[in-house]
Amino acid sequence: MATAAVHAQPPSPAVRPLVNAGAKDLADGKKIFDAQCAWCHGAGGTGGTGPNLQRTTLRNAANDAALAQLVRIGIPGTEMPSFAIALTERMAWQTAAYVKSLGRTKSKPLPGDAARGASLYGTNGCGSCHVVSGAGGALGPELTRIGTLRGPSYLRDALIAPAATHPPGYLVVRATRPDGSEVRGVRVNEDVFFVLIRDAGGTVHSLEKSKLATLERQLEASLMPSYATRLSEAELDDMVAYLSGLRGEK
Amino acid sequence: MNRRYVRRGAAAVAFGAIVLAIASIRAQSPADNNWTTYSGSLSSHRFSPLQQLTPSNVTKLKPVWVYQPPGVGTVETTPLVVNNVMYATWGPTGVAALDVRSGKTLWEWTRPIAASVLNLGFPRVNRGVAFLDNTLYVGTLDGFLVALDSRSGAEKWTVHVGENPLGHSITAAPLAVEGKVIVGISGGEAGIRGFLDAYDAKTGKLLWRFWTVPSPGEPGSNTWPGDSWVHGGGATWLTGSYDPELKLLYWGTGNPGPDWNGDSRAGDNLYTSSLVAIDVETGKAKWHFQHTPHDVHDWDSNQIPVLVDAEFGGRPRKLVAMANRNAFFYVLDRTNGEYLLGAQYAKQTWAKGLDEKGRPILMPDMEPSEKGTLVYPSLQGATNWASPSYSPSTGLMYVPVREMGSIYFKTPVEYRPGTYYTGGSEKRLDEESWGAVRAIDVKTGKPAWDFALPSPTWAGVLSTAGGLVFSGSNEGNFYALDAKTGKALWQFQTGGLIRSGPMSFGVDGKQRVAVAGGRAIFVFGLDD
Repeated sequence: MATAAVHAQPPSPAVRPLVNAGAKDLADGKKIFDAQCAWCHGAGGTGGTGPNLQRTTLRNAANDAALAQLVRIGIPGTEMPSFAIALTERMAWQTAAYVKSLGRTKSKPLPGDAARGASLYGTNGCGSCHVVSGAGGALGPELTRIGTLRGPSYLRDALIAPAATHPPGYLVVRATRPDGSEVRGVRVNEDVFFVLIRDAGGTVHSLEKSKLATLERQLEASLMPSYATRLSEAELDDMVAYLSGLRGEK
Repeated sequence: MNRRYVRRGAAAVAFGAIVLAIASIRAQSPADNNWTTYSGSLSSHRFSPLQQLTPSNVTKLKPVWVYQPPGVGTVETTPLVVNNVMYATWGPTGVAALDVRSGKTLWEWTRPIAASVLNLGFPRVNRGVAFLDNTLYVGTLDGFLVALDSRSGAEKWTVHVGENPLGHSITAAPLAVEGKVIVGISGGEAGIRGFLDAYDAKTGKLLWRFWTVPSPGEPGSNTWPGDSWVHGGGATWLTGSYDPELKLLYWGTGNPGPDWNGDSRAGDNLYTSSLVAIDVETGKAKWHFQHTPHDVHDWDSNQIPVLVDAEFGGRPRKLVAMANRNAFFYVLDRTNGEYLLGAQYAKQTWAKGLDEKGRPILMPDMEPSEKGTLVYPSLQGATNWASPSYSPSTGLMYVPVREMGSIYFKTPVEYRPGTYYTGGSEKRLDEESWGAVRAIDVKTGKPAWDFALPSPTWAGVLSTAGGLVFSGSNEGNFYALDAKTGKALWQFQTGGLIRSGPMSFGVDGKQRVAVAGGRAIFVFGLDD
């Protein structure tokens, strides 16, 4: 049947320490990770749509039991889904063991300079659309904790080709009225009869669909400009270093 | 004049108003005011014969009252209405009797359900009750069937239907016919062996059990290698239909187990992902039709079988129509299961078509795989448990459609009691997905019109003799369409996900429409 989210899982019992995993367990865990987790966390857990996992401590998994549980049932209210239907407890444990082993990977330090990135963030006017620690505009996603949510490769892609990486909730739509006038912007919300669009100037338009001539979902578009030519390669590295360091910590 | 109106319309002025109101419903039988079974009738048309609401006045529809049951979670019930009392349910297992005029509670009954009660593969919900002779029948999340006195909510009897620690649950409304309560079981993701039970409505005694997966030596057992049948699935998790002339029940069966890894169960895996016609007296199958042999995409056939009497191929026939989760629409002769018509009604990439017997002709390499295989429809299917509606006035079946694909994964699997026995998962293609209410001509399988929705819908559909179609959306809209054209006529934003089937009833000569949205039940009507 599998028709919907699963509620109220019984609490997980204490699990075997993940360091007890043998080579076969780690190999099985890697196989599962490559098929089901690497979509978001990147091959080897280097990060992507999901955070970089090559860290000795993971903010949502304080201990082995929590990590195994997290792999299995996800983090409710976030983009991390439940795998309870797909993974047996053993498979989740093997995957968790592999994830834990990634923390022992010597991850390459990011090439850029975060302080220079912060300065570029200011001079390029990023704050007119994005919020960091309470300051900034409303058009784009908040970035206060972006370093805990997205990996560096994703952040770099987002600067170069924002349209290819737009996050959920930031779909660009274009509505045209019968008189030919147009509203283009971020879809704030939509139901069967209404669409709410925030235009580039920040104004929210509440539009009745039946009174529109067209309404187009632009899956490949973003309101954010590309920084591929606005920033040099080194500056892109600096910006990625700055953004990766935004972890919501004072 | 119905006696009920006389008794309740004590004051002369009120009496006069009621007479006028009844006149406005024209030639309706008092029984038309009721909605006595989950799908509205034993034929499962989810069609109201009431005609007061029409395309010209539905624009004035307004909320009359709202009921908010205790607890949390989306309400997925289709309420019943019998003689001015509404019987609604909520999850995990609660029932209320409500006065349909005021929306006030007559009684509420809640079964304590511990957090440790399993719901493997579905939410902690209840979708409705059955009614017979002042008794309500409700299935429970922990696997029991309970009979309640409809006047007080007092428990009459309770029977144990399935072992919840092994994954059995009941979320569907039972069906009460011929002095029996027919009840199906959930658990198709937990490696159960599916069955359909009949209990004596008065005593709760088990009368028969139909196993949806045969044991060795029984017909169909050669479609299961070794002991794979033991955890073969075939859950019966939604309400079926009944033909009182043929004395046949029509019930859909769910996926085989494990869901996405079919390696251990080579063969067709009868009678999973099938429609089965069962003799109501003996519990024996008269015929079966398997929509998806050796299913590896979790395409249950539990969708509502809709019984239609119509001219087909030049002669009147007794038909059963089903819009299946696998994206094909089927019409069979319901006397013998003969395949008459099959047509694709939503995007699919797994079959080239159906052969002359209705068996799918498979596309190569569409099974779930370790690296993932993109297939349409998604595992939630081109339609799911949300009810369709059939209008005898238009000859159209109104189907809630989900246009969505998934990447299907296959993983190793071992049976462990009370845990998932699925062997895979999916990654849904959410952003490109959409939904629709699609009107399909039952005689041809061809779409007549389409009403598009922003996302794949979970809302059931109601049609009415007044020429209207009602349904909902994930975005909270409850709306009315013109049954002939699909044109939107009216809408109300309920503020919550609609995952329920709308219904209609009459009170004091006024037609009402009810639907659950979020954790509330809304009742709509016209001003006096």
